[in-house]
Amino acid sequence: MSALVQAPGSAVRRPRSLDGVDALTVVLWIVCGAVVLVPIGAIVALTAGGSQLGVLVQGDVVEAAVNSLVSATVSALAAVAVGAAFAVVLERTDLRHRRVLRLIALTPLLMPPFVGAIAWLGIAGPSSPLNVWWRGMFGGPLWSIYGADGVIILLTVHSYPLAMLIVSAALRRIPSDLEQAARISGAGPARALFSVTVPLLRPALLSSFLLIAVSNLADFGIPSIIGLPERYVTLATLVYRYLQSGTVDEPLAVVATIGVVLLVLAVGALLLNATIGRRGWELDASSSPAQPLPLGRAGTPLGIAMWTIVLAITLLPLLALLTQSLLRAPGVPLTLENLTFDNFAKALSSSTALAGAANSVMLATLAAVVCGVLGLGIGVLTTRTSARAAKGLNAVAMLPQAVPGIVIAVAWLIIAPRIGLFNTPWLILAAYITSFTALVVQSVTAPLSSTPTSAEEAARISGAGRLRALIDISSRMALPAAISGAVVVAATAVRELTLSVLLLSPGSQTLGVAIFNFQQAGAFSTAAAWSLVVAVLGIAVIGLATRRPS
Amino acid sequence: MSRSRLTTAVAAFGIAAITLTGCAPAPSSEAGESPAETADALEPTTITLYTSEPQEKADELVAAFNEVHPQITVEVFRAGTGDLTTRVATEQETGKIQADVFLAADAPTFENYAADDLLREYTPADVDALDPAVVDPEGFYVGTRIIPTVIAYNTDMVEKAPESWADLTDAEYADRLVMPNPDVSGAAAYNAAVWLDEPELGEEWLTALAANRPVIADSNGPVSQAVATGTQPVGIVVDYLVRELAEQGSPIAVSYPSEGVPFVSQPVGIFADSENVEASEAFVDFLVSAEGQKLAVEQSYLPVRSDVGTPEGAPELDDIAILAPDLETIRSTQAGAVETFRELFQ
Repeated sequence: MSALVQAPGSAVRRPRSLDGVDALTVVLWIVCGAVVLVPIGAIVALTAGGSQLGVLVQGDVVEAAVNSLVSATVSALAAVAVGAAFAVVLERTDLRHRRVLRLIALTPLLMPPFVGAIAWLGIAGPSSPLNVWWRGMFGGPLWSIYGADGVIILLTVHSYPLAMLIVSAALRRIPSDLEQAARISGAGPARALFSVTVPLLRPALLSSFLLIAVSNLADFGIPSIIGLPERYVTLATLVYRYLQSGTVDEPLAVVATIGVVLLVLAVGALLLNATIGRRGWELDASSSPAQPLPLGRAGTPLGIAMWTIVLAITLLPLLALLTQSLLRAPGVPLTLENLTFDNFAKALSSSTALAGAANSVMLATLAAVVCGVLGLGIGVLTTRTSARAAKGLNAVAMLPQAVPGIVIAVAWLIIAPRIGLFNTPWLILAAYITSFTALVVQSVTAPLSSTPTSAEEAARISGAGRLRALIDISSRMALPAAISGAVVVAATAVRELTLSVLLLSPGSQTLGVAIFNFQQAGAFSTAAAWSLVVAVLGIAVIGLATRRPS
Repeated sequence: MSRSRLTTAVAAFGIAAITLTGCAPAPSSEAGESPAETADALEPTTITLYTSEPQEKADELVAAFNEVHPQITVEVFRAGTGDLTTRVATEQETGKIQADVFLAADAPTFENYAADDLLREYTPADVDALDPAVVDPEGFYVGTRIIPTVIAYNTDMVEKAPESWADLTDAEYADRLVMPNPDVSGAAAYNAAVWLDEPELGEEWLTALAANRPVIADSNGPVSQAVATGTQPVGIVVDYLVRELAEQGSPIAVSYPSEGVPFVSQPVGIFADSENVEASEAFVDFLVSAEGQKLAVEQSYLPVRSDVGTPEGAPELDDIAILAPDLETIRSTQAGAVETFRELFQ
């Protein structure tokens, strides 16, 4: 960070013609342009130049597009409904043990989707103990998770925590004063909650829906593990198959064309979000905590229901992974003597998985640092200066959030040979930076934009330059947000699959790709053992991270 | 670039059935030492291996190789043969092939590479000890394991095992079959070409098989798992996976179809682009050396030399029928066969 902000620092005392803030803007524009505009420009250019538009009306592409749209939309709607309900219950009611419930409810977020897919196969796959037993009793499986329904349910399970986070944060930003005013005017607690607070959540609901829909549009792990065995193909798995197996001529141009369509859809969603959510409120944070909604007699059943759902979503997959990795051989009955640690030990000593883990940690750390610095700079600049260039910068930096991961991966594949990054791990790093900088920008701008600029104004009145005020006041205020944003980047990147599976090259296999390949090659117990490790580590990390007083 | 050598290769491949019978029997007592001792002269270097070996087996292979040549780092990139050839083609277009050594399913793929001048000629040190059927007469590649494709079935769920490829088209097996995707698996691509070439089977049989709606898994690994767990109780799969699972206790067994089994030899070759020729040659030598082949036997593979024994439960090859068609025919029809398969099954 120091490099970025110190370079223009010397310019503080210069005359206004070109001050440090302008220099910072230029630098950030260049970096942002390189990691966002260039790759996206490349994919658009290849589509425009090539004559592959015909693929868009091919049966399998259309079918995959419909599957992608339906699974993304339905799962996002369900995720927002579940997430918002959880958020309201856990933030604004007097349900007991809310803190613990909140933590447990967030765990699917910490479990990469493909790990969840591997785990849920053990619960509801055609040869899961449940289905085997059911088949023994009634001649057919109870419910096989393979296919469209399974894909949608799993996408929902893995994205509702994001909606819950966004809505919870919005709930906390809505000052309790408003509710108090309603209560003083005679409204009951429930009425105050639902007629004052919930309407204020609308932008949060919409933006979490769009965010989740776009990210589910591009998820690769769940549709490939759960969808493909039933030939439920989505655009992500179709693009992967085209690129990996070369089943079409000019695969890069074909997938670029598919990518541009996704891009148009996603940018449309982003614009929609921007138009609807533009009128943000600058609400002064209030010191008094919100009055929780008393549940009264409904507390016990609601508590039981919450615990059942949350534990089923969290513990069952972990148990399934555990049995899968301990079972001596596939197809043997689940009895005590058929459990062994041999497979587990063998899996954990796999040199491929260990090398993958090292790659993932390295790439995730670098991505967190770069995204943290970039995001802090962009976030501060765009919330604290009114220049048009800064607003544009924000739009460019946030653009990738609306761009499905496969599009970003394909874009980097196109420019890789020209910039000498083909077949190197740095290609994956570059794609991570493109994708994840927005996470930091977002976590910086959210608190800053609802914090009044009075502190900066005071600094300016006391004689500080524009840049000085930005660094000393705004950046300091935003630093915790930037750090937590960077932590989110690291946590996301370390378990990433969609980007790294497409940008895979010799020696740059990430842990996600290693696990995915084990699963694809039929080494199910190895895949399950590593999935369990990733899941448990992820949950432990969030447990520790959230222990910090916020 | 005359490819007249193909006829010789074809002839050699054709006699596989006969010569193979010679490799199966009797675990020999003392296998000859490999040429490994002379290897210490090699410089420390890194080679990249593209392979379709299962990841764990590839890791074991590299670990065993590093016991002999600790100074050579082998970077393994594992994918299905179909995915590997796509990667090689992309790399060829955008620059240079990254791999030094290619170890993948089927000889026709290697024949194509040799025809395109992508491979370097190299005859492994111990070539005389090898089954001549798997050695390319022109020396561009050499087979490293014999991998037949068989019918596997779940012993808990299937009472009477299917006995022939023709049996699998019986309505009894509708929705109960699983097989690998030839777009990904090199063995499956080879098999598709062999089945289509076989007069007894051909497109008529393949169409009938497709009518039974087999599940198309990506590779052989998931096929064997699906059969073992009973998801689909009958599968078409490479034999060593079945042997391994049966050994671990899974309810799975092999049936050798009466029309004959196709087999691939998992050849290895060195890319002409390779800058690490000596290290690559050492790796090829190791693969077919007595140690390398002993490891192959431990990994449940049928070896390509007769002095290292055979895996437990492996068949006597003279007891089973083998489909060993004309290699040039297979090479020229394989791409079309995969296309036909895709149309019929997907």
